[in-house]
Amino acid sequence: MAELTAVAAGPLAGGLPTFKGRPGWEFTDISALDVSAYELMPAAPAALGTPTPSGSSLWELPASELPDGVSVRFEDETTVVSVGAGTVLAAPLALNVIVPEGRLYNQRTRVVLEEGAQAEVWEQLLSDGDCLLNLSTELVLGDGASLRYVCGQGLAEQAWIFGAQHATVGRDARLDWVALGFGSRSGHVLMQTRLTGEGAEARVTGAYATHGGQHIDFDTTQEHAAANTTSDLAFRGVLTDRSSAVWKGNIIVDPGAQKTDAFQDSRNLLLSKRAHADSIPGLEIQANDVRCTHAAAVAQVDPEQLFYLRAHGMPEADAKRLVIEGFLAALVERFEPGPVREILGAALERRLQLILG
Amino acid sequence: MATTAPRIDADELQEAQVEQLTENEQLATINADYDERYGFHDAENYLYKAPKGINREIVEKISEFKSEPQWMRDFRLKALEYFFAKPQPTWGSPMLQEVDYDDIHYFVRASERAERSWDDVPEDVKNTFDRLGIPEAERKFLSGVGAQYESEVVYHQINQELVAKGVIFTDMDTALREHEELVREYFATIIPPNDNKLAALNSSVWSGGSFVYVPKGVHVEMPLQAYFRINTESMGQFERTLIIADEGSYVHYVEGCTAPTYSSASLHSAVVELIAKPGARIRYTTVQNWSANVFNLVTKRAVAYEDATVEWVDCNLGSKLTMKYPSVYLLGERAHGEILSIAFAGRGQHQDAGGKIIHVAPNTTSNIFAKSISKDGGRGSYRGLLEIAKGAHGSRSKVVCDALLLDETSRSDTYPTIRISEDDVNVGHEATVSKVGEDQLFYLMSHGIPEDEASKLIVNGFIEPITKELPMEYAVEMNRLIELQMEGSIG
Repeated sequence: MAELTAVAAGPLAGGLPTFKGRPGWEFTDISALDVSAYELMPAAPAALGTPTPSGSSLWELPASELPDGVSVRFEDETTVVSVGAGTVLAAPLALNVIVPEGRLYNQRTRVVLEEGAQAEVWEQLLSDGDCLLNLSTELVLGDGASLRYVCGQGLAEQAWIFGAQHATVGRDARLDWVALGFGSRSGHVLMQTRLTGEGAEARVTGAYATHGGQHIDFDTTQEHAAANTTSDLAFRGVLTDRSSAVWKGNIIVDPGAQKTDAFQDSRNLLLSKRAHADSIPGLEIQANDVRCTHAAAVAQVDPEQLFYLRAHGMPEADAKRLVIEGFLAALVERFEPGPVREILGAALERRLQLILG
Repeated sequence: MATTAPRIDADELQEAQVEQLTENEQLATINADYDERYGFHDAENYLYKAPKGINREIVEKISEFKSEPQWMRDFRLKALEYFFAKPQPTWGSPMLQEVDYDDIHYFVRASERAERSWDDVPEDVKNTFDRLGIPEAERKFLSGVGAQYESEVVYHQINQELVAKGVIFTDMDTALREHEELVREYFATIIPPNDNKLAALNSSVWSGGSFVYVPKGVHVEMPLQAYFRINTESMGQFERTLIIADEGSYVHYVEGCTAPTYSSASLHSAVVELIAKPGARIRYTTVQNWSANVFNLVTKRAVAYEDATVEWVDCNLGSKLTMKYPSVYLLGERAHGEILSIAFAGRGQHQDAGGKIIHVAPNTTSNIFAKSISKDGGRGSYRGLLEIAKGAHGSRSKVVCDALLLDETSRSDTYPTIRISEDDVNVGHEATVSKVGEDQLFYLMSHGIPEDEASKLIVNGFIEPITKELPMEYAVEMNRLIELQMEGSIG
């Protein structure tokens, strides 16, 4: 029971949902989840910098020197990163979470940027084996703040993940949020962005690449609660074997949020007959002077592109690989040239290597 | 503005502005004269009017009135059990909770039978259909007409050449009497009585609607039309339509509807089943213009076999709340489904419309185009499903949804679910919500978007791909909306 009580504060509050029937859980079957099979692990601060992960690391980032005005504390069982007003964190701050096998772990992270602060926070979620990770993330951007938050999920492929991630973006602030879904067996991750001040901007980028029987479920919300706000969401997935993915995304424009510019785009590449993808985009618009666009597509590797490459003497496997890399490269190209692009590009390449063999 | 921004052609811009204003003016006139044109009602000289409420007795009475075979009576009673057992749906619209099933008349008989001459139709009723322009349209543009008044069809006629070719077009009650085996073979095979609560309700109290059978290879060149009219207050209309297009045949079925404006709510809940056999094509056009006190909760579904095509053209202008998602199951190889959904939500209205296409067989194709316009606090929702089931390899589909919000009190939602279980497919979806503003082009251009790109954005948003206009008087609003979208596009 202790486990259930601990979980209750997270997205599983109110007990385990049943497959089908409850909004948000129609496409993810969690009937095989036995919460009591996992032993609750006491909360601990996320490790700063580079640990020696026994699982496969998504990226290596050195522990950064914390300048004045930046603190990493552990309070209320939460790892809290604070960046003071006007403070600029030059190098990315890395948080590493590694869940041991058989454990239920509640990871709570809170990143607070005060007015005009600038920072980059990379959070890496790994496990030694089968585990249950319950994630709670809060990102708070004050007026004029700028945050890049990269959340890489590389749990073992027997693990369950449940996440509730929420960001509020103040006036003229800018959030650049990246989510990578590589590991885990199944679960559900909510990613909600709320633009609360005029001129706020959010860019949300998601990538997943699955194989075997993996199931990925992302549920995103872009809420425009103030006028003149911009959001741009792009998710791309590559699915092989009998793996499956759900992306459910909603754009909400509140009354009065005029001049909203919102975009969402979800694309899936299915590489096997047994792979399955669900895209459930949604728009709820209550202001008239707005531009909201969404697009979703599911396709196979384009035979014309394959044919072209093969006609130029490239073996089929290589040609296919090149087309898939090109599909994901469109995501990587959303970032400026430099470390972030290289690290993400390399992480995606290693993942493709693994799932394509 | 950046110096690289293109020069704005003042004339072109002004032209675009003038056009936009004209469109806004046009939109303001849609249904502005509803009370006068459609909202009137006749005196009631009815043969029978059931008391309000639904129960076993009413269902048995309807069956008795119609002297139905036992199997249909049993079907109705079983469906009534499903209706009582199923909870009211909680999704779609909060207005759904306002439906009061106890405050509805479930059966009203206005005339003895479906007449074959307008002269034999009761005077009041004939006058109503005259005012709606139905007999005139029949003479000019149609192959056959059915006119339903309250629960039953009062007039039915079909071109005699089609009869000679074996085409059956009659009201469903007559079909059950005269073609019982055909009805029994197909009835409720596409939408079973336990499909959903409203389909269960229709299955238990259904009355009227059309039955169409088109034999192999027969092309019905001009449309068949059914017009549905509610006259009394707190009325429930539950027509049941079944269309079977045999191999290689073609038929276009058109339906329109209106009702008087009352303060109390009426309920319209139809069930429509379409069967397109190999190589057949069915086009089904709806011009829904119920008065703003009607709950319009309809289940429409089609199956298309090898090389068959089913097209739904679904235009929703009226009603208080519409929840309707015509669907096509592509069951045979190379079958094609097409849905064009146009919705107009004005004051106090919620149009929750859309469509569903389920690709079951290989190499099937489909398109869904949806346009909605919301004004004066109205709410337009597109709700759709595009599913490619296992085995439907080589399938292609395109879904495009566009919405216009004409003021800041209105609301637009888009919920297009896509489910894919095959790798060898190509599926795309796009949706855009924007305002039709005299400054739209200028706005885009002033933000540094080059003129041609700005024009393209607007074109993508509002151009209407294919529609065939219907010349009927009651379809004029639908035609205007189609026109509007063509005019709104630039380039």
